[in-house]
Amino acid sequence: MAYDCIIIGGGLSGLTCGIKCAEDGLRTAVISSGMNSLHFSSGSIDVFGYRQGGGKVYRPFDYMKETAKSNPAHPYSRIGSRMVRESLEFFNDQISLAGISLHDNGDENHFRITGLGVMKPTYFSQDSVFNDKFKKAVEERASIAVLNFDGYRDYYAELTVSQLRKNPIFKRTGIITGKVTLPFYTRTEKNLHEFRSIDLARVFDTEKYLPRIAEEIKRAARGARVVSLPAFIGIDNFAQIHKRLEDLTGCLIYEIPSLPPSILGLRLDNALRSRFAALGGEYSGGDRVNGGEIMDGELDHIHTENYGDTRHRSRFYVMSTGSFFSAGLRSGFNMLDEPVLGLRFSGSNRRSDWYSAKFFDRKGHPFLKYGVETNKYFNPFGSDGKAVKNLFCTGAMLSGYDPIREGSGGGVAISTGYFAAKRIIGEMKKNK
Amino acid sequence: MERYETQAVVIGGGATGAGTLRDLSLRGIKSILIEKDDIASGTTGRNHGLLHSGARYAVKDLESARECISENRILKKIARHCIEDTGGLFVTLPEDDPVYHNELLEGCKISDINAREISIKEALRLEPNLNHNILSAIWVPDGTIDPFRLAASNILDAKEHGAGILTHTMVTGLELKSGGNIVRAADEKGNQIEIRCDLVINAAGVWGQHVCSLGGIELKMFPSKGSMLIIDYRINNIVVNRCRKPSDGDIIVPGDTVSLIGTTSREIDYSRIEELRVDDDEIDVLLEDGEKLIPNVSKTRALRAYCGVRPLVAISGETMGRNISRGIVLIDHSERDGAEGLITIAGGKLMTYRLMAEMTADLACSKLGTGGRCRTAKTPLPGSEKKISERKNVRAFTGISQSVVGSTLYRHGLRVQDILKRDKKNYRLICECEMVTEGEAEYAIKKLDVKNIIDLRRRTRIGMGPCQGELCAYRSAGLFADFGIYRPEKSIELLYNFLEERWKGIKPVLWGDGLRESEFTYWIYEGLLGIGEIKFDDDPGDGDGV
Repeated sequence: MAYDCIIIGGGLSGLTCGIKCAEDGLRTAVISSGMNSLHFSSGSIDVFGYRQGGGKVYRPFDYMKETAKSNPAHPYSRIGSRMVRESLEFFNDQISLAGISLHDNGDENHFRITGLGVMKPTYFSQDSVFNDKFKKAVEERASIAVLNFDGYRDYYAELTVSQLRKNPIFKRTGIITGKVTLPFYTRTEKNLHEFRSIDLARVFDTEKYLPRIAEEIKRAARGARVVSLPAFIGIDNFAQIHKRLEDLTGCLIYEIPSLPPSILGLRLDNALRSRFAALGGEYSGGDRVNGGEIMDGELDHIHTENYGDTRHRSRFYVMSTGSFFSAGLRSGFNMLDEPVLGLRFSGSNRRSDWYSAKFFDRKGHPFLKYGVETNKYFNPFGSDGKAVKNLFCTGAMLSGYDPIREGSGGGVAISTGYFAAKRIIGEMKKNK
Repeated sequence: MERYETQAVVIGGGATGAGTLRDLSLRGIKSILIEKDDIASGTTGRNHGLLHSGARYAVKDLESARECISENRILKKIARHCIEDTGGLFVTLPEDDPVYHNELLEGCKISDINAREISIKEALRLEPNLNHNILSAIWVPDGTIDPFRLAASNILDAKEHGAGILTHTMVTGLELKSGGNIVRAADEKGNQIEIRCDLVINAAGVWGQHVCSLGGIELKMFPSKGSMLIIDYRINNIVVNRCRKPSDGDIIVPGDTVSLIGTTSREIDYSRIEELRVDDDEIDVLLEDGEKLIPNVSKTRALRAYCGVRPLVAISGETMGRNISRGIVLIDHSERDGAEGLITIAGGKLMTYRLMAEMTADLACSKLGTGGRCRTAKTPLPGSEKKISERKNVRAFTGISQSVVGSTLYRHGLRVQDILKRDKKNYRLICECEMVTEGEAEYAIKKLDVKNIIDLRRRTRIGMGPCQGELCAYRSAGLFADFGIYRPEKSIELLYNFLEERWKGIKPVLWGDGLRESEFTYWIYEGLLGIGEIKFDDDPGDGDGV
């Protein structure tokens, strides 16, 4: 057998799992069909942000313990808050080895500012979204300049500020808006007013215009101590660009994610993939697993689009193929399933049960909780009703939790991926 | 309190009201139109957008057939930018009664509709996606019409001839007395409006029953709901009708970038007209029957579903169904109810809106004892003054991509001159699905009575494409704030309402790629932006439309 572990799906959950396995010396491969959902995310890691009946969660691990009693089928309840914490520490270590520092607020959530000026609870954020200096600046009511780049259509500073001003936290804080003209706006044939975050981030990565941009920022900030910008100040060279801009302007530079693609998320994705490669993992991009065979409660082999009938075999498998959006789950006219292996699915087959009457209903939408059903070790069930012992399902494809409404998507992805890796490592040791 | 005085007040901003306002204005009658929501937000914007040749009525209703073909010829000249002259087919399926084919040809002949039988081979050449098992085919001069553009152009022309318009303004009282009528209304902010006028024209469609009741007059409507389904590709380029007695799910109309399967017909109680929804079994019927005409239908992504209410009137005040007319109903309430200053125009169809407006304006002029002759049959709508040449315009706007010029031209005709400017910010795209530029959005917001993002969609197609407003909705909200139209808080509320309105049409067809797209949209607006945590006072408007 060529592999100890093949992971289907290269998102947050699959890569975390892959890194853990590879770190332990397992021969590990990740097969990924394309972009993962980090590219559309905030780039912060939400662990538990909202309570079941509404209201914010301030202490996510405490709330996990509450949930363990009220909802034993929740992925967190199965893993236990201690291992969730362990998985997050592992994740943080790995990301920092790849050159990105993540900050938490001890046991408590901190808040990130959205493009609409909403404060969303989250657990880990990058240096440009949360750190001790920001925390102190907010406490000291340091003045804030919310800036946009002139002509950038995927972010509007006025919308952010209108809600921020309503927030009691900023009641006595001076907040202004302003526009920064990018020096390269006049220099190209392309319509720069149509540039997306990713195009601009690539220009930032060249570090060519930083002193001039810093001058522009200082001018627009009008003496504010904290400056927020739409999040695209570099991908690969973000850390030094961020530091240089802070040095040049004398301001704290904060990033607010704009419309996708998410540069903050992309940084995490790059970091995870570079860690996986550094640990000897094998990453196969642009291929899609399109089937496999389950025999006697074990997944025997899988095959992929690019390699036709070739059977890929591994001792263990992990599926982290995501939700409907990522095509890990599938819906049709009155049917729901897991499309690759036909694993047992939890969800109603009646279309009208899937959604709420209002799009932004407080309760969210039932379909967001649908997904693959597993036992407590995250082994799914095959069509014969037996748990598939060498296969683990992790991340957004799991049923029983609502990643958006609960604000738990990142934490569940990381902790279930990590949990699966630990189980596999343990089994491997036993077999030796 | 705002007070106005005018000769005529038109109530209702659908095609009929808009057409009437234009007709009166062209005749020199001072008029103001009041609409409770937006232009074309009611029944006008909730039909299949068929430019009838009249063939659908040629077997059972010759009068309607003749009206249709006559208006068809007029609209092709005066409303070029609202129309696509696609042609249409009537195809007979193996399970259909073959006799209808000949009856249709005969009826078309009598009604002066230029229909001709074509070979099956020819039909499949014209429309390769057609069911290959058809038994016979007839070509007819059907086309497609965009009801939003049509109504908005009528309003624009009326305004350019001195008319006034109040959208998002609800009529709250009607005082009908000889020597001066008073119309009372209130806008969304609660501002009270009072208009003194010589004549009130009730063009409120199915809501006309309520308008009459405000003046103490009884008018009985029999609302009939029709549901339609939009699929995310233009799977046909010619209108495809089923050659049988008109029934559910028997027509597929192409329109802009999509195709549309029509229609169901269900009687509903008047008290329910504000809470219409598409039922699951209607979706089943439309897909099942649509599939018979064009077999790709069920493999194509369903984009949204919506429904409208046909305004059928009981002429003599009877409550039994048999006296209901499907034709045009023009009521002079001085004869019927002793209310000299009130006219009701109802019934009819989008297709005959101009004729209805002409009949109404004729009666209005005779009552007012003033006004000239009707000019709407000959005078083109704004943007349609000349034949529209895409090549010429693409050359005139060198530097701007051809698809942007083409889309703008397609939607606004020759008014493209007022919209596109050779400034990079002006022609940057706000909606990539439908190629809507910032310049077009600005023109619509400032010149076409756009009050929110839902209105903006009706004028420009923002948010009507495959993504149903994923990115363009947020950008549009930003533009409203940028242009200084609203405070940013209000812009966010518009965004919220827009997304809720889109959801109404998406949820009946929530499966497959549509569900994936919705999850993504939810992810962005709830997960990334947190819009659900913001508190607003107002409820979102009605869902509708193509």
